[in-house]
Amino acid sequence: MTVLSRKLLRDIGLQKTQFIAVAVTVFLGITMFGASYDSFQNLQTSYDTTATQTRFANLTVQGGDIASFVSFAESQPGVESIETRTVVDVPFDLSETKLYGRVVGIPETSEVNLLSLQSGSEPAGGEVALEAHLAEHFELRAGSTISLLGRDGWVDVTVSGVAASPEYIWPAKSRQEVLTTPDNFGVVFMPETHARELTGLDDPNQAVLYYTDGEPNDALTATLTSAASTAVEVYTRADQPSNSALKEDLTGFEELSVFFPILFLTASGMAGYVMITRLVQAQRPQIGIMLANGFTRRTLLRHYLGYGLVPGVAGAVPGAIAGSLLARLITGYYTDIISVPVTVVETHPMTVVVAVVLGVGASLLAALGPALTASRITPAESMRGFAPVGGGRPSIIERLVPAVGRLPIRWRMGLRGIERNPRRTISTVLGVVLSLVLVLVSWGMIDTIQQLMDLQFDRIEQQDARVYFDGPVDDSTIVALTTVDGVARAERSAQIPASVTSGSDVLSTAVIVLPEDTTMHGFFDAQRNPLVLDQRGALVSQGVLDTTGAVVGGDLHVTVAGMGSIDVPVAGAVDEPLGSFVYVTFGEASRLAGVPVPATAALVSYDGTAEASAIRQAVLDLPGVAAFEDTQALAEMMRGFMGLFYAFVGVMLAFGAAMAFALVFNSMTVNIAERTREVGTLMAVGVDRSTVSRLITVENLAVVLIGVPIGLVAGYWVSAAALASFESDMFRLTLDMRPSTLALSASAMVVVAFLSQRPGLTAIRRMDLTRIIKDRSS
Amino acid sequence: MKTEATLKTGIELRGVSKSYRMGSSDVRALTDVDLGIEPGQFVVILGPSGSGKTTLLNLIGAIDTPTSGSITIGGLELGDLDEAERAAYRRTAVGFVFQFFNLIPTLTAGENVELIAELTDSHGGERANETLEWVGLADRVDHFPSQLSGGEQQRVAIARALAKRPPLLLCDEPTGELDFETGRSILGLLRRLNRQHRQTVLIVTHNAAIGEMADRVIRLHAGAISDDRLLSDPIAAEELNW
Repeated sequence: MTVLSRKLLRDIGLQKTQFIAVAVTVFLGITMFGASYDSFQNLQTSYDTTATQTRFANLTVQGGDIASFVSFAESQPGVESIETRTVVDVPFDLSETKLYGRVVGIPETSEVNLLSLQSGSEPAGGEVALEAHLAEHFELRAGSTISLLGRDGWVDVTVSGVAASPEYIWPAKSRQEVLTTPDNFGVVFMPETHARELTGLDDPNQAVLYYTDGEPNDALTATLTSAASTAVEVYTRADQPSNSALKEDLTGFEELSVFFPILFLTASGMAGYVMITRLVQAQRPQIGIMLANGFTRRTLLRHYLGYGLVPGVAGAVPGAIAGSLLARLITGYYTDIISVPVTVVETHPMTVVVAVVLGVGASLLAALGPALTASRITPAESMRGFAPVGGGRPSIIERLVPAVGRLPIRWRMGLRGIERNPRRTISTVLGVVLSLVLVLVSWGMIDTIQQLMDLQFDRIEQQDARVYFDGPVDDSTIVALTTVDGVARAERSAQIPASVTSGSDVLSTAVIVLPEDTTMHGFFDAQRNPLVLDQRGALVSQGVLDTTGAVVGGDLHVTVAGMGSIDVPVAGAVDEPLGSFVYVTFGEASRLAGVPVPATAALVSYDGTAEASAIRQAVLDLPGVAAFEDTQALAEMMRGFMGLFYAFVGVMLAFGAAMAFALVFNSMTVNIAERTREVGTLMAVGVDRSTVSRLITVENLAVVLIGVPIGLVAGYWVSAAALASFESDMFRLTLDMRPSTLALSASAMVVVAFLSQRPGLTAIRRMDLTRIIKDRSS
Repeated sequence: MKTEATLKTGIELRGVSKSYRMGSSDVRALTDVDLGIEPGQFVVILGPSGSGKTTLLNLIGAIDTPTSGSITIGGLELGDLDEAERAAYRRTAVGFVFQFFNLIPTLTAGENVELIAELTDSHGGERANETLEWVGLADRVDHFPSQLSGGEQQRVAIARALAKRPPLLLCDEPTGELDFETGRSILGLLRRLNRQHRQTVLIVTHNAAIGEMADRVIRLHAGAISDDRLLSDPIAAEELNW
């Protein structure tokens, strides 16, 4: 080992806490990069492999003239397989409960959307295979019996096995109802002939197409989509509800893999820069001596780059390994939870290489400036000794507000200290800003989801349950619901699947029909002002307007399968977090349709005098009730997911605190190191240590307080942008950050800053005055 | 705590020794030093590097404690003081002037002087201008250290030490960073202040020529007093030459 290398390592040893702080920040950034990027790649590969192995449809066409479409599609080059099937939503009776589920027909020789059998066997006549989520929740297995409501009434079927499907990895009912619970939605697969027989359809109502090698083909999709003009719904693999929901998660992982390294490596870079700049300044005489003795400037440049290289390597190499291992854990845990049929967990050497290059590169970049400064020092000048820092002048605030100049000198000293070393101040401010961004992005997500859930389940969906009937019902059936113990009110309702457009883009959604004086469903605009559903037209979700281009005051073209199309005037835009729907009153629906529109469902609210399970059972026992959807179960499930969010935010808070600590700690330590003589002088003339500590604390916290408002604004802005990137017709996420979140984050930052300067202040308490005096004066 | 009044009765060191660890070895900086200094004396302590002169100054200034022996300042035994009392002693009784001026670069000359007064509650704030006038810098009150020459910075440092009107002024190589003319001017200033205000002044230096202007010259060698003599006819600082 060369002498310079030994010097390098010993210097680092002398300032090991500061170098460790930089290395830890690099480690955190690189770990999170590796974990999120490898998880993204693993999940992407898992989904792609699942799609290939199960021949996941590239295009699905629902409703309309399927036969004509198929005959056209068969002649198109690029279509490898095409098959038709029956897909109908019907009530299920699972003995424990009744729910509105989906029957999917399996053609005799299936080549598209292949099932991945997890247990049991493929269904034969009179049998069904259960989708995995439903089977797991109700503990159903091969040999169990369930009932399905068909055209001719309830039909018992035997479970042949349990299967996973590429269409229901995330069991979304539709793009508008992505979030479901097994209590409210499930899927069964049965032979196509039996599916048609059960549902009473003469012909299949869905076509699924697999392109050559399963590769996307935009031109072919465009041709086929225009040929499917009579269809109710046409969607590609990317837009398929389950796949689309999973892609949102993938996008999240991909964005995190960019967000984390930028944040942490910037922080570590700033911390490293401050530290190495100070080191070079302190070593000016040594540099002068080395230059005077013939060291080349290139040698010095390499030497001082080493101070960036060491913490970079120390943080990046273990970070890359930890990230890779963490990615395996995340992928395995995640795919296990959502039952991905094929899980691919791989080590990606390229990610490790990129992670190390990123970490080391950022550290080297941080060292480059001070290293260049060191290499350009003039020997004679540097050996003259101490170079005073800061020219000294009244602070900006003193110049702007002359009255500040009358404050006690100790306060003015603190204010001027902020401007004394602008680069260090900027780096500390930046550290505070980055930390607050990290914290607020996570906390803002929590706040938003919590408030949107309150909005969705307390103010919009005010019912406790939705009851489906086995056909149209009159008011007496609705009233009968209120005779059940614990039911306070019941309102008629109907949900009609439809496609809507205002020109080019078509959206598959549902028209929800409600009474004019509904008390079960709240309507709010973007400012949370209440809207009234009346005879003036439809209230339309903002997501529908955004997708179709329709506007309030204009018309929306609504097509209902088997009932034709009508133009519906748009009376108002409603802002709803989940799904995008069209709401009309029964009167308006009947007027527009030209025929009376009957109720097929009811919204029910409880009075709290009976157990929800007892109400459910009593309602299901009423004649004509086909299914029962517990709205609160969905709310509870989502609230259950919040536990994961809290864990996520906890980790982010810890990381944000660690990052802030590392940066402020380094700035603070350098600040004190640079002022040892001043501090020593003050103490030598009798200023007690606590007064000196207070002076330095005021100055440091003042810098932090400059960063806090900037960080709050930046954090709010980044949070809003991050949430907007997840927005679609499936979800509408508008940032709703509580003021207390901003206040708590700001307070936490000040506390972290206060704590991070404790080691520096302890150093003041341990300062050896005689050494300082001796070093400088003898 | 007694300070100014007791100082008038002088400084007394009895059997003072000081050793400290440097690396793996023990260094004896002072060995069994006995010394008495009268109030108002202008004393120059001479000696080569490592002779213990700065250690002696630090012990009298209570920024260090002896390994053995006692230091009494007008009956006040420094060994009996705790950390806070030593700080209080320094605050009220001692003014330090260092080789490096150690001014706070973000404060003006006036503010550097005022700060010490403000932090030590010595009401010297009002006297900052007056003190700067003493050192000939009345017109440089609003200048920052970077706008002052080395000699001017040392004058500010002296004014800072004098702002609280300490009865004892301890100067460690006060001319070490200054050129000949400026150094001589600073020494003249210290002598003039000593005569005008009757402060006890102890100057530590390795420059033997400075001894010629003192009332008393003490020479240290290897941690012990090798020579101690009173000068009956010290020369003026302006006559010094080295």
